[in-house]
Amino acid sequence: MSLRIMPKSALKAWIQRLQQRSFRIVGPKALHGRYVFADITDPDELAIDYPTTLSAPKQFLLPPREVLFSFNADTMDMTAHIEAEPTVLFGVHTCDMHAIQLLDTVQNNGFADQHYRARRDALYLVSIECLKPCSAQCFCKDMETYSITETYDVHLADMGDAYAVRVGSDKGEELLAGFTNIWEGADSDQQRLNEVMSQKWQNFEFRLDATLSQLPEVLGAAMHSAHWDELGDICLACGACTQVCPTCYCFDVTDEVDLTLTHGVRLRAWDSCQIEKFAVVAGNHNFRSQLGRRQRHRFMRKGKYQYEAYGKMGCVGCGRCGTTCPVAITCIKTFNHLTQESAERQAAVEVKA
Amino acid sequence: MITLLKETLSRQSIYMPTPARIAAMTPLTASETLFRVELPSGFHLHHRPGQFVELSVLGVGEAPISICSAPTRSNGSFELCVRAVGKLTNAVHKLPPGAKVGIRGPFGRSFPVERFYGRDILFVAGGLGLAPLRSLIDEVMDHRGMFDRVILLVGARTPRDLLFPDDLARWTARDDIEVHITVERPTEEWVSNVGVITTLFNKIDYQGRNMVATVVGPPVMYKFVLPDLLAHGLADSDIWMSFERQMKCGVGKCGHCQMHHIYTCQSGPIFSYQEVKNLQEAFA
Amino acid sequence: MTTRPRPKVAFFDFTSCEGCQLTVVDLLQDHPELLDAVEIVEFREAMSEKLPLDERYTIAFVEGSCTRASDEARLKSIRERADFLIALGACADLGGVNTIRNVMPLQEVREYVYGDKADWYETYPARPIKAVVKVDAAIPGCPIDRNEFAKAVTHLLQGRLPNLPDYPLCIECKALGTVCMYQRGQACLGPVTRAGCGAICPAVGYGCEGCRGFVPSPNLASMREVMREAGVGDEEIESRLRIFLTYQMMKLEGVTS
Ligand SMILES: Cc1cc2nc3c(=O)[nH]c(=O)nc-3n(C[C@H](O)[C@H](O)[C@H](O)COP(=O)(O)OP(=O)(O)OC[C@H]3O[C@@H](n4cnc5c(N)ncnc54)[C@H](O)[C@@H]3O)c2cc1C
Ligand code: SF4
Ligand code: SF4
Ligand code: SF4
Ligand code: SF4
Ligand code: SF4
Ligand code: FES
Repeated sequence: MSLRIMPKSALKAWIQRLQQRSFRIVGPKALHGRYVFADITDPDELAIDYPTTLSAPKQFLLPPREVLFSFNADTMDMTAHIEAEPTVLFGVHTCDMHAIQLLDTVQNNGFADQHYRARRDALYLVSIECLKPCSAQCFCKDMETYSITETYDVHLADMGDAYAVRVGSDKGEELLAGFTNIWEGADSDQQRLNEVMSQKWQNFEFRLDATLSQLPEVLGAAMHSAHWDELGDICLACGACTQVCPTCYCFDVTDEVDLTLTHGVRLRAWDSCQIEKFAVVAGNHNFRSQLGRRQRHRFMRKGKYQYEAYGKMGCVGCGRCGTTCPVAITCIKTFNHLTQESAERQAAVEVKA
Repeated sequence: MITLLKETLSRQSIYMPTPARIAAMTPLTASETLFRVELPSGFHLHHRPGQFVELSVLGVGEAPISICSAPTRSNGSFELCVRAVGKLTNAVHKLPPGAKVGIRGPFGRSFPVERFYGRDILFVAGGLGLAPLRSLIDEVMDHRGMFDRVILLVGARTPRDLLFPDDLARWTARDDIEVHITVERPTEEWVSNVGVITTLFNKIDYQGRNMVATVVGPPVMYKFVLPDLLAHGLADSDIWMSFERQMKCGVGKCGHCQMHHIYTCQSGPIFSYQEVKNLQEAFA
Repeated sequence: MTTRPRPKVAFFDFTSCEGCQLTVVDLLQDHPELLDAVEIVEFREAMSEKLPLDERYTIAFVEGSCTRASDEARLKSIRERADFLIALGACADLGGVNTIRNVMPLQEVREYVYGDKADWYETYPARPIKAVVKVDAAIPGCPIDRNEFAKAVTHLLQGRLPNLPDYPLCIECKALGTVCMYQRGQACLGPVTRAGCGAICPAVGYGCEGCRGFVPSPNLASMREVMREAGVGDEEIESRLRIFLTYQMMKLEGVTS
């Protein structure tokens, strides 16, 4: 993939051009001293140097509340709502790109979800390289998500006064079509990029005690750990952690009708496995009534189950759940605590032997 | 004939059901009713025993319900036995006959009937568990020559809770199926067995038999039935069960039915004991 | 559209500010079709007629909490005449702000409120209507959310009890993309409060005060700890938990009033 160079000052013009071409532009924006993904109307609002956002960009693929179809309950006429408008998502960090890859896998697996598919097809991903860790909670180096996936359309890397631009797909070419303030990189540009990248690796540290490949095993051995109940004791079951997570996609389905009881919609909304009723079945049997069990399910999904089901980790190390949790339950602490327990168990076995 | 699954998949949205008609409603107990559901002409459900459909009442919601009629008895229409426990299940009970409902599916994995050929089959049905098993029992009875002995154990709380009395009478009248029924709390007229379902196990001759068991009942039942079956020498891979989990989509997306890394709506609801015995959440 | 029988609906108030009933009046302006769906037979805010005494209410909405022994007889007679009795808003559902006084000695409250005329007024510890009669369902909030009220009515028209959210507010708040109050240095009861209002308080920069009541199993010890960490003093924490939640708190913590 050849390297192109775009002066930083050209970014604004590029966005304006895309807006004129009727693309919806979404990107990181400041809000109360934090950052969120939101619609960008004025290119000056785009805070592309943001550390990380509070919530994941998944909302542009799986909206928090989405009408699946509308209906007339009397005639049984139904109309699917497959809604997608060409949207450019600017400034997606590599961890979130890995998360989107997992969402793609899940949503296309078996029965493909047409609602997701349509949004995904209309979504153009302009990703950007993180040159340093975004927060005290992030551990993307451990999860091997601090380098880019194959799925970008355009990928940017900050080289000071210019972006190194790589185009990864036809959709990427489409975004740049006719834009002239960008040119082929020279060998010297490639060299500069190599320097930036080699600097980058040094800025990141490992924060987990287990390696990525050990994690499923560490968690598997922790099924009966007392730590789950320790987490359960302090957890508020507020569900904030799953709402902000880029790889959580569980949903609830409900119907809404108007007062004539005739016209209505079936819609889905983000759900959370931390909520009491998530795993209740008829007869009020609850497969995860204890909070500790729900915490266990969440962390198992992150570091083991999703990997077993889809070959991709359910956690990309973005750290958002840890930042948002009111009681400071974090992936780093939890995974490390369980790794420690596993090491202790191992040591105990060796002493006996 | 178009199979319903093909139709479900070719709709604009996998979540959008196909309209169907309630052709008949037969109350079975105070809270359970048998529904005969008729698909639009030209459609065929084409299911296997153990599979479920997502049943909708537009404006109220949707729920997974096991298909309780055998494939051999589901030409153009099929049966569902629904217990009224909540919003959707109560709503279907209140529908007038002839009303329209929505159907998606059939979904999920079925009982591996072909693997039971030539062997003894033990059916263990607790409460509403008789509904999914009825589909399999009739499938077996309609191909009776393919199997060795067939034994049916049925447990209910009281005689009034016994489902499918006509079918139980039909099966009992045959001499190529052994039927034992028990209730936990008998009424005065009750003359048959009293006790939980495991009390029926000693009525069966297991000696030297090549037996498979299919067990369906409420979550607590498995905890008692499984150890007994294993004690009688059945192999882990010869005990088959249907698992109930909360299901909001039926197509592996909503996450509600997840049990470890397994999506029950996709890899289940039918599992062998061998497949789930090491999953802590399976019998939690 | 198939024609359905119009259920007879009545509204009653006990001790309350009538804000919830006003929300209903407001809703009627935008959704006059509600009047095609139901027949309003008693509603002090909007009409003076009353249903003949020998007829039944299909749905009775009751606003306000019981604050006097004499409220009980009236409430019981409404219950007897109603197929469905629905608590309308925080006062009826939780006891609401009226219960703040329950933690203080009653005579003190009376003297504070009524001065030297305290003994002229009849009063007892305020309580939600479910403490007096069987309540079929509640529409929470102070005041109620108009859309949620409309939704509850559609459920009742379908012949079922309202199915309203009882998961935590944070679920709604995060879906909106609001920056968490704790990340803005303020406290919020969202993690233990049931959703349904659209998390409007955090959306406009205020911590939730719990007006919709607790989620089914609130982790209060942990919630207090979180507020303490956010710099809220113990006294302030307790008074926050007692704006709307006094009665629920007393039940949960086994204190009787
Ligand atoms: C594979 C499978 C096959 C089933 N087959 C049958 C059948 O043949 N006949 C039958 O009557 N039932 C069957 N069920 C159970 C049936 O799906 C539930 O009873 C139904 O979903 C409840 O929906 P509702 O809207 O009526 O209840 P809700 O109003 O949603 O809830 C009422 C009660 O059910 C619990 N509940 C809530 N959501 C669910 C859910 N998705 N699944 C289970 N319980 C829930 C609640 O906690 C409450 O106790 C089956 C379930 C599964 C998973
Ligand atoms: S589990 Fe936490 S750290 Fe991992 S991807 Fe989700 S939000 Fe990020
Ligand atoms: S976790 Fe890593 S890849 Fe993700 S935003 Fe932070 S630094 Fe970037
Ligand atoms: S954010 Fe924290 S307190 Fe809330 S559910 Fe998640 S782990 Fe529990
Ligand atoms: S502001 Fe309140 S409701 Fe919103 S996420 Fe924070 S604690 Fe939860
Ligand atoms: S945010 Fe809290 S206090 Fe505000 S309306 Fe909602 S429940 Fe009531
Ligand atoms: S029912 Fe939704 S994933 Fe299985």
